[in-house]
Amino acid sequence: MIWQLDLSILTLIVICAFATIMVKDLLSAAIIFGAYSFLMCLLWTEMGAVDVAFTEASVGAGVSTVLFFAAVYQTSRRVGARKSGRLLSKAFALTAALLTGLVLLIAEADFPGFANPFTPASLHLSPYYITQTLHDTNVPNMVTSVLADYRGFDTMFETAVIFTAGLAVIAILRRFKKEARYDLPEPYVISEGYPDTIIRFVARQLVPFIQLFALYVVAHGHHSPGGGFQGGVILGASFILLAISFDFKIVLGIMSERWNVLLGNIGVLIYAGIGFLCLLLGANFLDYSMLSKVLPATDKIMARSHGMLGIEIGVAIAVMAIVVSIYLNIVSHGKYDKGL
Amino acid sequence: MTLVVILLTLTGIVFFFATTVGILRFPDFYSRMHAAGKGDTLSSLLILLALVLYNFHEVNLANLLVAIKILLIVVFIFMASPTATHAIIDAGYESDIKPWTKNPEEES
Repeated sequence: MIWQLDLSILTLIVICAFATIMVKDLLSAAIIFGAYSFLMCLLWTEMGAVDVAFTEASVGAGVSTVLFFAAVYQTSRRVGARKSGRLLSKAFALTAALLTGLVLLIAEADFPGFANPFTPASLHLSPYYITQTLHDTNVPNMVTSVLADYRGFDTMFETAVIFTAGLAVIAILRRFKKEARYDLPEPYVISEGYPDTIIRFVARQLVPFIQLFALYVVAHGHHSPGGGFQGGVILGASFILLAISFDFKIVLGIMSERWNVLLGNIGVLIYAGIGFLCLLLGANFLDYSMLSKVLPATDKIMARSHGMLGIEIGVAIAVMAIVVSIYLNIVSHGKYDKGL
Repeated sequence: MTLVVILLTLTGIVFFFATTVGILRFPDFYSRMHAAGKGDTLSSLLILLALVLYNFHEVNLANLLVAIKILLIVVFIFMASPTATHAIIDAGYESDIKPWTKNPEEES
């Protein structure tokens, strides 16, 4: 915690936020939004929340920027100027924003100070996790153990939320009929594009290592920052890199739509299935210590560690499939015929 | 050892500064990207090498592993950063951005 560094990063974040709103070019806005996410990631690293920073770097600065690009590619690059009712709607939006800010400020006064050691959470809850995690679960990274074990139920529904987001994108965008129901603007094309040898070669060399790193992040989440969400997003990003540098069709060849949806289901099912397995073995839902009955050569403590690894793998599979399927749907306008 | 670390970091910062000046002061898209691509890559290498050396205040297996990971980051940057620069410049060339010349009349 160096408050000068915090303050300068926070200033840059506010500048980026304003620039994102003010810039008329949507592509520039997407890039500035990526910079905003990356600054948030720096701020979180600086405050010691490395896992959250990792998520922000992979999801916020990485994949969501690419998804914005895909959306801009399929719609239009310029902000349309609306004429009618402009002043009234602006005044309404300003009032709503100011009121929300006021309410948040009032609520903020009731919060304890940042890192105040005498709040109830810091007095009773956090010390338990900090001192007992290694003893309870044999997992050095307490963020992973809190996320996947102590609050496994939360994380299961987070995975379900991501799965639902993927389903919603498919339900809204996917079009099975060949003919268009309505006229769409042609994608904004800078150039026709040609096979660039340098980019293709480097992408081909990098993709296996990116995927290996993603698997490392998933499997090593117990000992270092990372876990299912980050690893899954990196895995998905490697497919997106292939789609951008080579062709849309290659990714479809590796992961067809059928496999995509199936893998998303399988990931969530692995998570819930491990929970139900615990139920069947006579423990509470997602109480991994009972898994020692089925896993060979593990005691109850190691079983919790292995249970966490299992659900992290489920999360990674679900997140990877959903990221790839959202990208494919947005970039091909739901037709899966051609894309970025 | 500490002296080498300080020297490497300072050189890295000097190159980063040169990069920033280049992006701000160069006349056109291509030369700016040239400054960004070259300077970024080299200064990242220098600063990460400084981190590797700083990490070796005490030589053991854990520190060695961290050093190898940092070196892997260097390898990644050396592959990814020039390629990204190439891709951006290529996109600029494709969308017909004219390179800067000293006397525009001579060219056309």
